[in-house]
Amino acid sequence: MKFLFVVSLRNLFRQKRRNILLGSAIAFGVMILIIANSFSHGISDILFNKIVVYVAGHVNVSVNEGRGRDLPIFRDKERLVQIVTEQAGDELVEYNEGIAIFLQAIGNGKVQNMVLVGVNTVNRRLTVKQRQEIDESFQMISGRFKELSNSSIENPIVLSKEKADALSVKLNDIVRIKYRNVYGQTQSSRLTVVGIMSNDNIFMQGIMLVELSNLKSMMGYRPYECGTIKLTLKSPKEDSVKLANKIQAQLKPNPAFILASVKKLSSDNIKPDSDNIEIGKLEKEKIEISGITASNIDIKATLLPFMGNNEPLKKLMISSFKLKSGKVEEVFGKDGMMVSDYLAEKLKVTTGDKLEFSFKPKFESKEAIFSAAVKGIFVSDEINGKETIYTHESLFYPKFYENLPDLTIDLKQVFIPKDDVSFKSALGTEWVLLDRSRNTDDLKRKLRAAAKKKMKAATIDVNSMYESASDVLKLEGALNLITVTAVLILFFIILIGVINTLRMTIRERTREIGTIRAIGMQKKDVLMLFIMETSILTFFASIAGTVLAFIVMAGLSEITFHVNDNPMAILLVKEHLHFLPTFSGITGNIALIMFIAVVTAFFPARRAANLPAADALRHFE
Amino acid sequence: MVSKSVIISVFIVIFGIVIFESDSLFAESQVKIVDLMKKIEVLQDMTADVRAKVDLIQTKTGQGTKKIEMLYYRRDSDDSFLIVMIAPEIDKGNGYLRVGDNFWMYRRNTRTFQHVNRDESIGGSDTHADDFEKRKLTELYGPSKDSAGKEILAEEKLGAVPVFRFEIIAKVNDVDYPKKIYWVMQDKGLPLKEQSFSASGNLMQTAYFINYTTIEQRYVPVKQLYIDEFEKGNKTIVELSGISTKKLSNELFTKAYLENISK
Repeated sequence: MKFLFVVSLRNLFRQKRRNILLGSAIAFGVMILIIANSFSHGISDILFNKIVVYVAGHVNVSVNEGRGRDLPIFRDKERLVQIVTEQAGDELVEYNEGIAIFLQAIGNGKVQNMVLVGVNTVNRRLTVKQRQEIDESFQMISGRFKELSNSSIENPIVLSKEKADALSVKLNDIVRIKYRNVYGQTQSSRLTVVGIMSNDNIFMQGIMLVELSNLKSMMGYRPYECGTIKLTLKSPKEDSVKLANKIQAQLKPNPAFILASVKKLSSDNIKPDSDNIEIGKLEKEKIEISGITASNIDIKATLLPFMGNNEPLKKLMISSFKLKSGKVEEVFGKDGMMVSDYLAEKLKVTTGDKLEFSFKPKFESKEAIFSAAVKGIFVSDEINGKETIYTHESLFYPKFYENLPDLTIDLKQVFIPKDDVSFKSALGTEWVLLDRSRNTDDLKRKLRAAAKKKMKAATIDVNSMYESASDVLKLEGALNLITVTAVLILFFIILIGVINTLRMTIRERTREIGTIRAIGMQKKDVLMLFIMETSILTFFASIAGTVLAFIVMAGLSEITFHVNDNPMAILLVKEHLHFLPTFSGITGNIALIMFIAVVTAFFPARRAANLPAADALRHFE
Repeated sequence: MVSKSVIISVFIVIFGIVIFESDSLFAESQVKIVDLMKKIEVLQDMTADVRAKVDLIQTKTGQGTKKIEMLYYRRDSDDSFLIVMIAPEIDKGNGYLRVGDNFWMYRRNTRTFQHVNRDESIGGSDTHADDFEKRKLTELYGPSKDSAGKEILAEEKLGAVPVFRFEIIAKVNDVDYPKKIYWVMQDKGLPLKEQSFSASGNLMQTAYFINYTTIEQRYVPVKQLYIDEFEKGNKTIVELSGISTKKLSNELFTKAYLENISK
């Protein structure tokens, strides 16, 4: 083998000019492949790690408690985050809350409609790569990004140069904004410009950034509430769909209920006597009794929601309950509430009376109190519960979410109809978990359908980037396809030249083959000699091509493109082309070239090796 | 596109019946804010159908003045209303139809109806469908009290007119403005001025009910002025004419009618 290697090298050096030309062609082909491959990886990197992460996250858990409006709020942040992060495990790089609001902003005499996006800059451990990505995404023209977390400044913001110009504001100027908070109330705030950034990313050019905690406070979020959760993963392409499926499986909701103390509200309300026990911060006239003793009765009852806005489910409820009093249209209408006959008797209430409910919320120390009118009384039994009150979802959910009860503690005392009960499907759950989507279009259709159902329960929708950002990913696929097609065309043009040259070289050397065969070299050694020659040439040409590719990429990366107003600017980083060569990509390209070269050399070499020595010696071209 | 204040102002136009004998309602007894609010509720509550032509003169900073004309039909018995734009030319034929819980926006150039969700912006304006939900003032707001627990209610003069000035705060979360101040006439309980504040307490809008007239024993504010206090310089004047309280046909509150009238 060593002998063959030495002969191969000697043969290569013997035909310097021809081999240099051939090697140059191969090197050029390798260079083109590596540049194209790195550019393609660069595009993927930008789209996956600089756009999809900000726009949708690799996986996102969208929450909406809008009751017809778009209101991204979940009332138990700890619970949601725990479920999500547990499932993500080691794959998780970080999670963020996605909260953004559309607003009207007034700068120095100029008005603009804008988007204010919350970014977490406090208590966030950034890796070197993340810091680099942030630097690349937010290039400060003036001011400092760090100032976003400066608590001595009134609501610090960083905004894009385009929007700063449109609002006619500069550093330290005040921007007044008008928006709707989480309750839908009109709210106004003052923001201080602490930074102006230039941005390649067209998605970022219309936005203002504010510290997430400031935005949550402005929006009226309480400390235990969160918005949509966005996850950044180590390997998004491989893991995002799997993780989204796992999270979906863990987010199955439990039945919704409120376990509350109930009392009748009326002018002749029962007054407390000396034997009664007063509970917590309840009003003085409130009475808490163990439940079954005679007159002074204050009963703990389970409030259960029924999905009255869904016609089939409403009909199911109507057919499942027998009313003792009350009109069907009122009982099952928007403000509908029906009390069991057992409770009605104990509380001495009839249709039209008002009941007051009080319960201890999970997160607030103050007792939650609300009242509602009894629209009907139903015949109770073991199936629908004796100490139960059924309310329309429109009445139930606002109270439920405003002061979320601790369902895990209350579960021991509560009555929940069994799963095989006919009307179980008509009862509400903590939230409604939407089905997984196939793509962005499917996602949009699904959300429109959910909105039309007028559900009052919050919805949770789990998406991987393949659904929530499928349009962006389609763009990535299209750009990669264009790149690969163009490169392949160029590459094959080069390849045909190389193949032809190789074939010619071997044919020209047929008499030489006859000579070495005549002096005793075996057929397989002849074949091996040519393959080795080609391999050595291709390998060194590939190395040269790789070096060339890096030189060319470095050169191209130095060119500045001023195309901020062009959507394709999203494919640039800091106004420069972004190449991302990878070891596997380069070795793969070299292996491909070597394989093609060896295959190309193999057939004419085999033909030459198989010729009888005498024929080969007689060969003339 | 018509701005929020314009659309809302059209919707909340007050056509209330005021019984003339009740003019001295507040004169003899201790006035409470709730009573004044209930009076406004009565004014806003329509017992009859209404048809009117509404002109809106909208002034926007840097954009000059724009006149918008529309036909307005309202029937509270089934929570319906219909707005058909007749000017300017670009908006002519467009309309808004509400029947019960359903709210549609019609665009003449595309001949399409768009169902509007509660939180959806209407035609790119800052108006949302839930702004049109009809709920009682006393269900949404309660009297605001000072540190001594006393209702914030004062007697003063607005120009030459003796008024009660009172402050109310939201009892529920989902209201547009968490705080409002009203100036209502002491004798008739008619609102003359209304200020709306954001959750942070900033004044966002001032409304003046400039001119009332009586039509079939109803007080109708035929001229109103809405001043945008957030974007200074923006204001809208609302003028009503051709008011009729005759019963409206069922056909009016249908998509087909809106489509036909817009041809």
